[in-house]
Amino acid sequence: MTQRLKHIVPNVVVGVWLAMGLLTVQPVSAEEKAKVVAPPESTLQSVSVSAPLVKGALPADDPNAAVWSSATMARFPMSPQVHWPTRILEATVKDLNVRALHDGTNISILLEYADPTEDPDDAAAIEFMVGDKKAHFAHGQPMAQVEGGPVNIWYWKNKDNKGVDMNAKGFGTIKVQTHQDVKAKGAYSNGTWKVVFTRPLSTEHPEEDTQIKTGGFINIAFAVWDGKKDASGELKEKGSQKAVTAWWNFRAEAPPDYSTYYYAAIAVGVALGFQFVLIRKLKKGHSA
Amino acid sequence: MGPLIKLIVLNVVVYAILKFVVPNIPGSAPLPASLVFLYMMLTTSGFVIFATVSAESKEAFWGPIQRFLTGENIGGLQALRYGVLILFPLLIGWQTYNSTAVSDAPPSENRTIHPAPPGEYTGLSNPISKTPDAIQQGKGYYAAFCSPCHGGNFDGKGSAARGFNPPPANFSDPTTIAMLQESYLFWRIKKGGVGLPIEGMPWKSAMPRWEVELPDEWIWKIIMGEYDGAHQAPRTWE
Repeated sequence: MTQRLKHIVPNVVVGVWLAMGLLTVQPVSAEEKAKVVAPPESTLQSVSVSAPLVKGALPADDPNAAVWSSATMARFPMSPQVHWPTRILEATVKDLNVRALHDGTNISILLEYADPTEDPDDAAAIEFMVGDKKAHFAHGQPMAQVEGGPVNIWYWKNKDNKGVDMNAKGFGTIKVQTHQDVKAKGAYSNGTWKVVFTRPLSTEHPEEDTQIKTGGFINIAFAVWDGKKDASGELKEKGSQKAVTAWWNFRAEAPPDYSTYYYAAIAVGVALGFQFVLIRKLKKGHSA
Repeated sequence: MGPLIKLIVLNVVVYAILKFVVPNIPGSAPLPASLVFLYMMLTTSGFVIFATVSAESKEAFWGPIQRFLTGENIGGLQALRYGVLILFPLLIGWQTYNSTAVSDAPPSENRTIHPAPPGEYTGLSNPISKTPDAIQQGKGYYAAFCSPCHGGNFDGKGSAARGFNPPPANFSDPTTIAMLQESYLFWRIKKGGVGLPIEGMPWKSAMPRWEVELPDEWIWKIIMGEYDGAHQAPRTWE
């Protein structure tokens, strides 16, 4: 009996040692990973938008509703669109603040940015990938070595003050959908635009509309046009001349999940049981 | 000194060397925690094998552990024993919680910054002779087409760079163009971000596909201008 135990004990001790080691290493390696994910420059910059689940109605028509403060604000830097002609080398909007909320059925996304003048052609848009295929952030243009998918664009323009649901797969392929699911409303005050986009989380058109499942991250990008006219009466920003962001992450938060606590409790129970059995066997071995 | 104490001392010494001595060796770098852990595991397994080769040494090694766990004749250590017996399950529970909890961080993406170019773009040499005129012309084209993102100082900090992720390459950084051949730059400039293979995540890159706007000759001159302006030299295999 004692002999057999002497075989068991080394394994157990190595197991304990391994567990302790993992406990020390796990948080440290998590820290190392976090450094890689961190945004490249400014600490003010976000990498994702997270929409908490709220009870009651979404503020789909009210960019100034108090409930927006319950969502964490994400902040993304914007670049002038230089990727494809016709380019623009300087755009009015430099930074974009984004908040989002969902109620389990609909999602509302609030864009907020500084624009010194209110113009009829001021416009903003949100872009998503559609389906499982990756899409280039510039209108889902074709990629040489990767088969890309389409993008879904939610567009708002001040003079219409409504949402337009569109698709594109490459430059010049933008198409307004036959079924419009997106609502949008903008409000301008004190040099700041606030625009809310609202849509059901899921729709009946998965080939054209992005489908938002709670809990998982999807890609999101943004564009803003300053509709101001220059001295000759030409629009300063229009079409491909706009401020853009790269792809970032977006998530509608899942309802609270307590299963983690159950798993932890089960693990504690198993460890206690293991200790109990081990010590009992050791004691028997000694007295034998 | 009992074998258990030896094991602990040995691990402390190994840890101290890996953590404080190795990073200070010229040309070295701090070791990742996972690697330090691996080395300590190896030290421990080696020690356990060594300590259990004979019956006597085995008893000397396992005896105290068994006595501690069973709590027989350990006197003042009894409190410590209860501490360990309570703490161990709690640590396991905490570890389980951490590994199953839903992360708030978006999934991390391992993007390959310099993926392999297509075969037809390997080993091309710059057909333009490296004259001061050609370099100067290249710098002119660079200023017009590249500097809005890659910066007038070749540092990736152009005025249009801020919104893009990945950020435009910093050519003065020795890990960018100094590591690459001219033919590699020719491929990246000509085909742009959308020309990258899947591991380069082409859908994220804002690099234009310059082949639709610039003749090859201009691209080769831009490459010369970039190396010259960033004070770097192309990588060679000689």
